[in-house]
Formats: sequence, structure tokens, C-alpha cells
Amino acid sequence: MFTTPRLILIALAAALNCSIGTIVYLLKLPIYLDSIGTILIALLLAPDRMAAFLCSWAAGWIGLAVSGLINPFLPWFAVTDVAISLVTALLTVGAAATFRARPLRSGPFAAQVVLCGVATGIVSAVVSVPVVVYLFGGVTGSGSALVVAVFLKSGQHLMSAAMLSGLASDPPDKVLQVLLAALLYRVTPGDFIAMLRA
Amino acid sequence: MTPNGAFAVGIILIALGMSGPGPRGLTVLVALTLAFAVIEVRGASMIALRRAIVIVLPLAVFMSLVWIGIVGESPAQIAADAVGTRVAALVYVAKLSGRLFLIVAVVQLVFLRFDKLTPLQLVRALALPAAVKRMLVITLSLIGTLRHAIDRAHIALIAAGTLTRTPSLRNVAHSWRLIQAVWLSAVTIMLGRMRDKWPVENTIARLDDTLDNGKPPLFTGDDRIWLPITLGAAVVILLADRVGGMS
Repeated sequence: MFTTPRLILIALAAALNCSIGTIVYLLKLPIYLDSIGTILIALLLAPDRMAAFLCSWAAGWIGLAVSGLINPFLPWFAVTDVAISLVTALLTVGAAATFRARPLRSGPFAAQVVLCGVATGIVSAVVSVPVVVYLFGGVTGSGSALVVAVFLKSGQHLMSAAMLSGLASDPPDKVLQVLLAALLYRVTPGDFIAMLRA
Repeated sequence: MTPNGAFAVGIILIALGMSGPGPRGLTVLVALTLAFAVIEVRGASMIALRRAIVIVLPLAVFMSLVWIGIVGESPAQIAADAVGTRVAALVYVAKLSGRLFLIVAVVQLVFLRFDKLTPLQLVRALALPAAVKRMLVITLSLIGTLRHAIDRAHIALIAAGTLTRTPSLRNVAHSWRLIQAVWLSAVTIMLGRMRDKWPVENTIARLDDTLDNGKPPLFTGDDRIWLPITLGAAVVILLADRVGGMS
């Protein structure tokens, strides 16, 4: 299961999560982009869903541990990363062939990206809400806190504001992340993928 | 003190910080953290505090903007449907920022306690499974590789006229190319290492040998003093305000 190439891939994906996620966090954009590596690793290990789940989970948690040195909110969302890995392994892995198809079939590609991104986003939002509300009172350090604030200001309760904020910002964020992961998957050399799947 | 002991103490302190102790518990927690800093980390404690300020201050400003500026009331007031005040929002932000400051400071203190060790020596000393140690070392090494890849790709794209040195819309539009170039660069480097360099140098087996520190006791030396003190303090911190509330 955890061959040397896969261990390397886990580390690469974790580093990718950290580097892009940290930049976005510091810029306070209302998105996260901190799971591109988690999604990409599952695509690279398709169609083995178990390996995809375990390796993307490992990459997600290592990424959280390292990013936690910059963003103290992040490690508390460890369960969200497990949920993202699970949805990715069950759903997004099924779209790997479409994402890699040459020439690119733009219709199915876009449909799969949106479907997988929205599903991942909804699950991620639902799993994150209790952490956001009970641990941090509704606001974390990411730019999506501004969205929570707007919902609170419009008279929503804390739980519903956090949920609505999650449902407003997570699906677009995850669609973008699935898109970026799919594009990186397309350009990854075939011999590297063969080495990973061996 | 061993890295295992320091990490255990750090995890307990962070968990206590997140448990939201009252004033008495918080006093004990801060005193314990300060004692750890002064006795174990000494002069480097100031570096830990400075780093914690650098990380938490922008966050506190951002949360102030959101809670005090936009929302204008605290979560408790919102939950209770009470009339909101900016003062309550300020108190809430101060509490949350204080809690985050403690977490960041503890993490920094634990790492600075072993600043004389190289990352490889620190990972070697930890009581973790061999695969996890290997994973950590490779991740740290890859972060360095990625930094080089980012530098190279960035310079190449500037030379090609795709990106500019200063912030610009052009950079935003072409940031995807940078990500793609970095990814391909990193994958190519890793392919070369895994196919040729590492098998020839027998790197992975040698890394495992280097990381294997035998089976020393999990906690030794000062760990045996700090852990009971921390656990005892944890009980006091968790009960201090409840007992006070009952009297």
C-alpha cells in the first residue's frame, strides 16, 4: 500500500496543500485551496479507491500538521480532511479517466469537475460547521469569516450563518480545487503515474 | 528533557488552552507555560513570543474587523438573541486571540527547546513508527525541493515574459502556469531521484538506519518531572473555576 513512490507522493501532496493553502490564508481570500494535493493524490492513484483514500488522508493530515505552524485554526479541521479524502476516493476517483482523456472532452470534463467539486464542498461545509461554531464561535482566520459576518449581520443565527457561509464558499472553492487538481493530473507524466500505480 | 516529553507537555497545554478555562484555570495555565518557557527554553522564549505575535497579531486585527467592525456583537449575544455590544465583541476577540496566541507560543516553545538539533536528529529522537519518521523527513526534504522548484519556475517565467517581478494582473492571470511549472519540476526531480539516485545510493534503507534510534524509554530524565506536574496542573485547571463556582 505505502510503497516508496506513494510515500513521496504523499509528501509532495502535503507540501502542495501547505504552500498554496498558506498563501491563500495569508491573503484572506474567501476560499481555502488547501486540499489540491489531497484531491490530486487520489486522482493519481485511481482506480484503487482504498489506496486513494488512505494516501490522500495521510497527505491531508501531514499538510495540516505543517500548515498549523502558520495557521493555528487549521489542525482543528482534521475531520474535514478525512471527509474530503473519503468523498474524493468514492466520487472524484471515478472521474479520473475523463480528466485524463486526450483530446480533452470539455463537456464531460466540466460536468465532472462541477459535480465532484460541489459534492465535496457540501460534505466539507457540513463537517466543518460544528468546529467553526463550537470551537471558534463562528469565525476562523480565513476570508470566509467575512461571509459568516455578513450572514450574522442579516439576522441569521450562529449555526445557520456558519452553515450558509460554508455552503456559499465551500462548493465554489472545492470546484476550483478539483479543477486545479484535474489540470495538474492531466499534465503529470505518464511514467510517474505508472510508477505510483505499480 | 526528551522531544517525546516536550511534545507530550505541549499537546496537554494546547488541549487545556482549547478547553476554555476560566480566570483561575487560565492563571495556572499561563504560569505553567511560563515555567516551561523559563526553565526549559530560557532565552529563546523571547523568539517564541515574537513569532507568536507575528502570527497572531494579523489574525487578531482581521477578527476585530469582522466581529467588532461588521458584526458588532459577540457569538454568545447572538446565540441568546440579546442586544449586542461592540465591547462584548472586543472581549470575545481578545479571548480567542489569547487562546490562539497560547497555542502558537507553545508550539514554538516546544520546537525551540530543541533548536540545537537538526530536523533529522529531532525526528530520529521521536517515538514514532519508522514509516511515519521516514514520511516526515521526506516531507521536510520535499518542502526544500519545492522551494527551489518555485524559485526556478518563477525566474524562468519572468525571463519568458509570462510573469512580472512586481505584483500585477498579469501575474494573477498566469499564476496557474507557475503552479503547473512547479508541479512538473517537482515531479521530474522526484522521478530522477526514485529511478536513479536513490537506488544507486541506497538512500531509503540508509535513511531508515539513520532514523532507527533503537528502543529507548519513551520518557526519561526531566520528562518524569514535567509530565506529572503538567497532568496535575491539568486537573487543577479543569476544576479550579468549577470548584470556585460552587462555593
